[in-house]
Amino acid sequence: MKGTLAHRRPSTRTRTAVVGLLAAAALTACSSGATSSGGSSSTSAAPAGGSATSAAPAAGSGGSSNISIFVVGGKSDDPFWSKVKRGVDDAAKVVEAAGGKVTWLGPQNYDNLGPDAAKLILSAKSQGATALIGADWVPDAQNQAFKTLTDAGIPVFLYNAGGVTEAKNIGALSYVGSEEELAGKAGGEFFGTNGAKNVLCVNTLPGAANTEARCKGVSEGISASGGKSSQLPLPSSNFGNPTAVTQAIKAALLKDPSIDGVVTIATQDADSAAAAIDQAEATGKVKLGTFDMDDNQLSRIKDGKQLFCIDQQPYLQGYLAVSQAYAYNAYGLRVAQESVLTGPAIVSKDNVDAAISGVKAGVR
Amino acid sequence: MSAQLSEARPQAPSGAAPRPPSPLSIRGLVYRPEAGALIGTLGVFVFFAVFGGSKFLAAGGTASWLNVAAELGIIAIPVGLLMVAGELDLSVGSVLASSSMTLAIVSGHWGGPMILGIVLALAAGVVTGLLNGLLVTRTNVPSFVVTLATNFGMAGLTLGLSRVITGTTSVGIKPDPASKAVFGTLIGGQFEVAIFWWLAVAAVVAWVLQMTKYGNWVLAVGGDPVSARACGIPTERLKVVLYVASGFGAALVGVIQTCLYNGAQVANGQSFVFNSIIAVVVGGVLLTGGYGSVIGVILGTLTFAIVNQGIYYTGWNADWASFILGVLILAAVLMNNTFRRLALSARAGKKA
Repeated sequence: MKGTLAHRRPSTRTRTAVVGLLAAAALTACSSGATSSGGSSSTSAAPAGGSATSAAPAAGSGGSSNISIFVVGGKSDDPFWSKVKRGVDDAAKVVEAAGGKVTWLGPQNYDNLGPDAAKLILSAKSQGATALIGADWVPDAQNQAFKTLTDAGIPVFLYNAGGVTEAKNIGALSYVGSEEELAGKAGGEFFGTNGAKNVLCVNTLPGAANTEARCKGVSEGISASGGKSSQLPLPSSNFGNPTAVTQAIKAALLKDPSIDGVVTIATQDADSAAAAIDQAEATGKVKLGTFDMDDNQLSRIKDGKQLFCIDQQPYLQGYLAVSQAYAYNAYGLRVAQESVLTGPAIVSKDNVDAAISGVKAGVR
Repeated sequence: MSAQLSEARPQAPSGAAPRPPSPLSIRGLVYRPEAGALIGTLGVFVFFAVFGGSKFLAAGGTASWLNVAAELGIIAIPVGLLMVAGELDLSVGSVLASSSMTLAIVSGHWGGPMILGIVLALAAGVVTGLLNGLLVTRTNVPSFVVTLATNFGMAGLTLGLSRVITGTTSVGIKPDPASKAVFGTLIGGQFEVAIFWWLAVAAVVAWVLQMTKYGNWVLAVGGDPVSARACGIPTERLKVVLYVASGFGAALVGVIQTCLYNGAQVANGQSFVFNSIIAVVVGGVLLTGGYGSVIGVILGTLTFAIVNQGIYYTGWNADWASFILGVLILAAVLMNNTFRRLALSARAGKKA
């Protein structure tokens, strides 16, 4: 189960990310020990002499032939991570054209994710990484390893999980990924602009930080347009049984006819919710949305049976992280934001065709 | 449908005679073991009819708990028989998952014919049941441990193979119209065709228990395995057959859910492990074996399903659903036990 959670909801920790903490830029620049020329005010905090020997080739060295970027990600046969890896591979073409290289390191399985990822991070260092991109899934287990690199002056970029908070903790230069509560808020706002007033957030994992954040975000988002959202927590006695989930959602819809929107925390639950809306004879009246994306969601959106799904655009996480690492290694360039959000992206009938062709191309 | 084992019991030619007069396995069975379960089912139904209102009593509300009960019941009946025979089967969760993934991979991912996928999916259940039965009877390791191990083993095998073959943990499938009609239709847009499968399984099992010697065998094995074996009952073969039946039931539900929801997930099914035991125990079957009936298991399944779904018709905060489920199940079992004790003592009193 842990493995499933780890890849289905890879950014549990990102909820703590807070955009706009000004102090962060100075802190991250400091621990990188690099002469950053990309930041505006943060350059003042970069102690050029800190670890000059290792920092010199890491940032803005001019010559890019010795650039070796290491990316620690999930299993590449995992559907989510295979899209991240596509982004990494595409960005790697630029690096390779300049004579550098990009190496992907992934765990064999998710059974022991934190310690395994920590080993991969240290392995990247021993293989001579000039920059490291990593997901901070289990900060308690991984941060020590990340710090070993930042202390040695090797620039670290967080992506997918960890958020700005952990990026600051370990001295990473930036975070590229999505944020659960913001994603929920976007979903709630989209419900609002499409006329929904009372949205049910079906939570089949009540109590988990990321799913609670998703429902909380939906509630915040829809309140902007005067609507409201309540949570339907389904107990573990229903977990993994689509019939029980379907019938429970149907019951909630029959009980409260004012519900005109249902949002689910995962795609399997969205399939159950679609069946529940049918069986409650509420098709057309109750709008359906979900976090995450798969073929079923897209075909329902295309058929007009579903309002939207929320995509965190994993391709961009890989692509932007590698691009940032390369620009920093080669030219000392940095984006000004401490977090680059790749999601939420709402997929609705207006852009579903692009999403479907993206799925066919293996990038969504 | 009077699938009561007790009525067949006195006809046992050799099973009863050499056994010590155990009130649980002999006299108790003369009393209908499902009487307490019936009161429980009616009790929770009235409870939710009062608090759930007209929506709960309407077709949609009825379908809610019947659909859940049907799928659970197909698994709970053979699991109940095993428990009457004194054994547990904790592997049904993984069997369900492996069966549905087998069907989805063979007929969805590889695009094979539906019938092939269905046969292989059911075969996965039968083979697991056979393995369980052989391990339990040959090694004498408690069935709790053996089937717990096969539950984990099958879960890992399903996850691992799915990942290797498809690269994902969730596989979609487009069932052909015939398979959809037989396994995954909603009658009237509400009632799953699984309800008929449930009735069919119940009827077949009830007939076998009522009209053949095997009903007595099951009770005898659970009540006193040593005497049962001494009387010439092939206890080991009987248990293997019961495990195969339980594996088949779980695999059938896997096929039904895959056809109904057009896909399979490796994490599906685990909730059936405990829910089936809850349904069986609420239905009046003794965890220690030797006492119980098919009607009781059906009633227990209905009780569980009504409580499981009824809560969502009350409009109460669903945070409390598990709590209410726990309280009502405990109440149902206590009432069951009280009723059984009363019945047994009344019987004993008359005889004395």
